[in-house]
Amino acid sequence: MSKVIERPRYVCALGGAIGTIQSLPRAIPILHSSSGCGGNLAGALSGASGYNGGNYCGGQALPSSNVSERDIVFGGEGRLQEQIENTLKVMDGDLYFVVTGCMVEMIGDNVHAVTKRFKGGDLPVLAAETVSFKGNSYYGYELVLETLFRDFVEKTTEKDAKTVNLWGVVPMQDVFWKGNLGVLKNLLKKLGIETNTFFGQGETLDNLKNAAKASLNIVVSDAYGIEAAKVFEEVHGVPYLTVQLPVGDHGTSRFLRTVGKTLGVDDIKIEKLIQEERKAYYPYLERLADVYNDLDFQRYATVVGDPNYTQALTRFLADDLGWLPELVVITDILAEEQKERVLATFGEYESGLRPEIVFDEDASSVGGYINRHWPQNQGQKYYKGFAPGVILGSVMERDTAEQFKVPLLSVTYPISNRVVLNRAYAGYTGGLTLAEDVLSLVVAHR
Amino acid sequence: MDYIKHKVPPVREDRLMACQAYGGTCGDLSRDSKKGCLYASKRTFSQTQGCQLNLSLGMISSMRDAVMVIHSPIGCGGNLIQNAGINKVFQKLRQESAVGLRWINTNLSEVDVISGGEAKLRQAVLKAEREFRPSAILVFNSCVPALIGDDIDGILDDLQKQVSAKIVPIHCEGFKTKIQATAYDSVYHGLIRNLVGEDNDSQPAVVRTPEEEAEHQAVISKTVNLLNVGSMSRIDEEELVRLLKALDLNVRILPSYSHPDDFVYAHEAALNVSICATHDDYFVEHFQQMYGIPYVMRTIPIGIANTNKWLRDIASFFGIEEQAEKLIAAETAELKQAIEPFKAELKGKTAFLTGGEVRILTTAELLHNLGFEILGLRGYHFDKYGEILLDEYLEDVPNSEKAIFNIGSGQVFEQANLLSKITPDLFVGHIGVNGSAAKQGYPIFPLFGQSDDYLGYKGVFEVAARVSRILKNPAFNKNLGSHTRLPYRDSWYEQDPFTYIDDSASVAARIG
Repeated sequence: MSKVIERPRYVCALGGAIGTIQSLPRAIPILHSSSGCGGNLAGALSGASGYNGGNYCGGQALPSSNVSERDIVFGGEGRLQEQIENTLKVMDGDLYFVVTGCMVEMIGDNVHAVTKRFKGGDLPVLAAETVSFKGNSYYGYELVLETLFRDFVEKTTEKDAKTVNLWGVVPMQDVFWKGNLGVLKNLLKKLGIETNTFFGQGETLDNLKNAAKASLNIVVSDAYGIEAAKVFEEVHGVPYLTVQLPVGDHGTSRFLRTVGKTLGVDDIKIEKLIQEERKAYYPYLERLADVYNDLDFQRYATVVGDPNYTQALTRFLADDLGWLPELVVITDILAEEQKERVLATFGEYESGLRPEIVFDEDASSVGGYINRHWPQNQGQKYYKGFAPGVILGSVMERDTAEQFKVPLLSVTYPISNRVVLNRAYAGYTGGLTLAEDVLSLVVAHR
Repeated sequence: MDYIKHKVPPVREDRLMACQAYGGTCGDLSRDSKKGCLYASKRTFSQTQGCQLNLSLGMISSMRDAVMVIHSPIGCGGNLIQNAGINKVFQKLRQESAVGLRWINTNLSEVDVISGGEAKLRQAVLKAEREFRPSAILVFNSCVPALIGDDIDGILDDLQKQVSAKIVPIHCEGFKTKIQATAYDSVYHGLIRNLVGEDNDSQPAVVRTPEEEAEHQAVISKTVNLLNVGSMSRIDEEELVRLLKALDLNVRILPSYSHPDDFVYAHEAALNVSICATHDDYFVEHFQQMYGIPYVMRTIPIGIANTNKWLRDIASFFGIEEQAEKLIAAETAELKQAIEPFKAELKGKTAFLTGGEVRILTTAELLHNLGFEILGLRGYHFDKYGEILLDEYLEDVPNSEKAIFNIGSGQVFEQANLLSKITPDLFVGHIGVNGSAAKQGYPIFPLFGQSDDYLGYKGVFEVAARVSRILKNPAFNKNLGSHTRLPYRDSWYEQDPFTYIDDSASVAARIG
C-alpha cells in the first residue's frame, strides 16, 4: 500500500501533465476532468514554483470540460467532443493535448476514441490518460513525453550526429528549469552539439517535431524521463544516456566528460572546454578567498528535495565549496530500483565526503533526521550539534530552519519565498549563482 | 433551513437555484433573475475553475492548532503547496505562537480505488494526532472516495473514540457542483456538527451561581459573532471590531483564522453578523433555527452607503439607533473630507469589476462614489442574495441599467473578449483573473488582499488612495499589454463574448 504523505511536494499526474504541456511553446492543454481540477492545481503550478505564472496558456485560461454530476452519470464523451471542437475555435495554439482527471477515468470515458475523431484535421490533438491516482507530477511528465514521442515526433531515417535531445529537467518541479535548460544547451554547443530541450527559451514545436533526427537522447536525471527515453528508442531508434544534473565545476566537468565521450567527441576537445570554463569559474570563486577564510564560512549542511537537485547540491557543496553536506533527505516517491540508481549518484566525491542519505516523503520528518545525525543536546556541558549549519531545501523547510536557528536557501520545489525568472543553478555559471545565493544568506546574518 | 441532521449539505444549484452562466446587462439580469430561470444555463466551451475542496481549504485551512487531512489522490489540495511555509505570518497576526499550515494527503492509489481508501484515512488521522497533537483534525473528502463509496463518517465516528483532537468531516467533492460557494456550506456544516457546543462527555458542564449566570447572560446579550471571510485582512477585521466596539458590543471573530475552541461557545451570542450572504447564509440560518440567534446579512460594509446600512441593521437589532447615527455622522463627515482630493482626481474614470456577487456590487458602489463610471461586472455566480443587492445597486447608482453583467467563475476568455470591447480605465479583479487582464494592459486594483484594508470607513479612504496610486503609473501592465498575447484567436474577439453560453434550457423554462 502506498503511504499517506504529510505535505507532499508534488501534485498528481494531471498536475504534472498540465505543467509540462503549458511549458511547451504554443501548446494548449485541454482538461477532461471535474470543473475544479485546474483551479486546484493552479497554485501548485504557479505560486509554488517561484511564481512561475501560467506561461502562455495556464491558470484559469486552461480549457476544461468541467464535468459534473450529470456527466458522471451519463458519461462525458459528448461533452469532451464539444469542448475540443470549441477549443479549436477559441484557443490559439499549435498543439492541443487532452489530459484527464480521476472522475472521467472512473466512469470509463474513452478519450482516445474522442480525440481520434480530430485526427487529420488542421491542428494536432493528442491525448494521454493522466489519471491522478496512478502517479504524481513526475508520472504526468513522463506520460506527456511518451505521448509526444509516439504521436507528435515525426518518424525519419535521417540522423544527425551533431544533434541531441535533452530532458529530465522537469518544468515547474525544477523551479529553475528554463534557465537550467539554457545553460546545458549552451555548454553542449561549445562541444559542437545542437540540443533540442523542447521547453527551453527560443525553441518552437519544430524542435520537438524533428527530434527523431537526433543521434542521442540525454536524460538529465536518474529518476524522471527514463521511461519516455525507452519509448523514444523503441519508436525512433535513438539511444539514450542518463546523466546527473550538474552544478558547479565538479558536477559539470563530469557531465561534459560523460556526454562528450558517449557522443564520440575528442577527449582533447572536452578537456580544453573544461579548462576554459574553469578559467572563467575560479577567478570568481577567488573573490571569496578572504571572506570565506577570515570569517570561517565552512558550514555543515542538510540538503532536502528531489533526486535531481539533492545529488547536484550535495556534490557542489562538498567538492566545490568545501562544506560538509552530511545529511540528505530525498522526498520523492521512488521505486526500489530508482532508489538504488539515485543512491549511486551520491558518491565518488573528490573531498571523500560520504553523506547520509534518507528517503522520506513527509515534510516534518526533516527535523528528526537532523537531530539524529547531529545528536540532540541531552543537557551536556560540551555538546556538538548542527552548527554552524545551513539547510538547502524548499520553503517547506522554513520551520525546521527556524527551529535549528540556521539559514535556509530554497532551491528545491516548492519555492514561494523567492521570485524566479531566468536564474539558473546548472553548469559552471549556475555554481557561481548558487555560491552567491548561499553565501549571501550567511553574510546577511552578520 | 434544517440540513444539519444530514451527513452532507445540498449543493447550491439545488438549494439556491444559483446561476453560473449568464451574459447581459444589469437590467436584464435583474428581470431574468426574478423569473427564476437562470440556473439551468451552461457553457459549450469552458475554462477551468476552482472546486469545493479548493474553496473549503481557502476558507478554513487558516484554522490555528488544526491539521488538515485531505482524503484524495495526491493532487487534491495542491493549492496549499504555494502557502506552505509562507502563510504562518497571517496566523501570527491572531496568535503569536501559531504554527504554519499542516496537512496530510492520503495519497490514494489505484489499489485503494479498487479496494477502498478507508485504511489510509485511518492511518492519516492517527498520524495527524500522533505527530502534532492538534486541537482539531479537519478531514476533507474529495471526488474519488465519494465515488468509491468510502464510509467517511463511520470511520471518523469510530476514530473519534481513539483521538483527543476533535474530528471535523468536511464533505466537499468537486464534481458535485459548479458553484464553488457550496464549499462554505460544507465547511460550516462540519463545524456546526462537530465543534459547536460543550462536550459534556469529556468535561463537566460549567456551573455558575445565579449572580454569575446573570452576569454571563448580560455579556451574551451584548456579544456578536462577526463572521469573517478568508479574503479579509487582519486590518479589515480591526476596522469592523473598532466600529462594533464603538457601539459597546463584544466581538467574537469566526471562522477563518479561528481556533477550534472559538466555536465551542459560538452559540452564546446575541447576534450573528455576516458581511457576505454568499459566505454565511447556511451558518446564520442554522444558528437561528438551532439556537434562536438572529442575524444581520444584507450587505458587506464596503463603501460609505453599505457600511452605513450594515451598522444601522446591527444597531436596530440592539435598539441603539441613536448611538449608531452619531457614530455614522461623525465617521462620514471626517471621511468625506478626507476623500475629497481623490474624487477630484478620479472623476469620470471608468471601471470594470469581477469577483463574488456581493463584493463586486458593493465595491462598484464605492468606486461610483469616488467618481467612477461602472461599465460592467462579472460575478462568480448569482442567486437570490445577489438579486436583492443588485436591485439596491440599480437604485443607488443612476444609469446602471445598461452596464454589462456576466456570470461565471474563471472563464477568462469571456472576460478578455469583454475587455477588448469596453476598455475601462481600471480593472478590479479577484485573484486568478488579474494576470489575464494585466496582459491586456489594464491597470489593476485587486478586489481584496491579505495585507490591505477594504472594509468600513477606513477602507474607503484606503481604497481611494490605492486606486489613485495604481492609476498614477500603470507602466508595468502597459508594457505587458504591448508585448504579450493571450492564448485566444483574433477571431474570438470579433465574436459575441457570450457565444458559448447555452441558455436554451432557461429560454424553454421562460416560455413554458
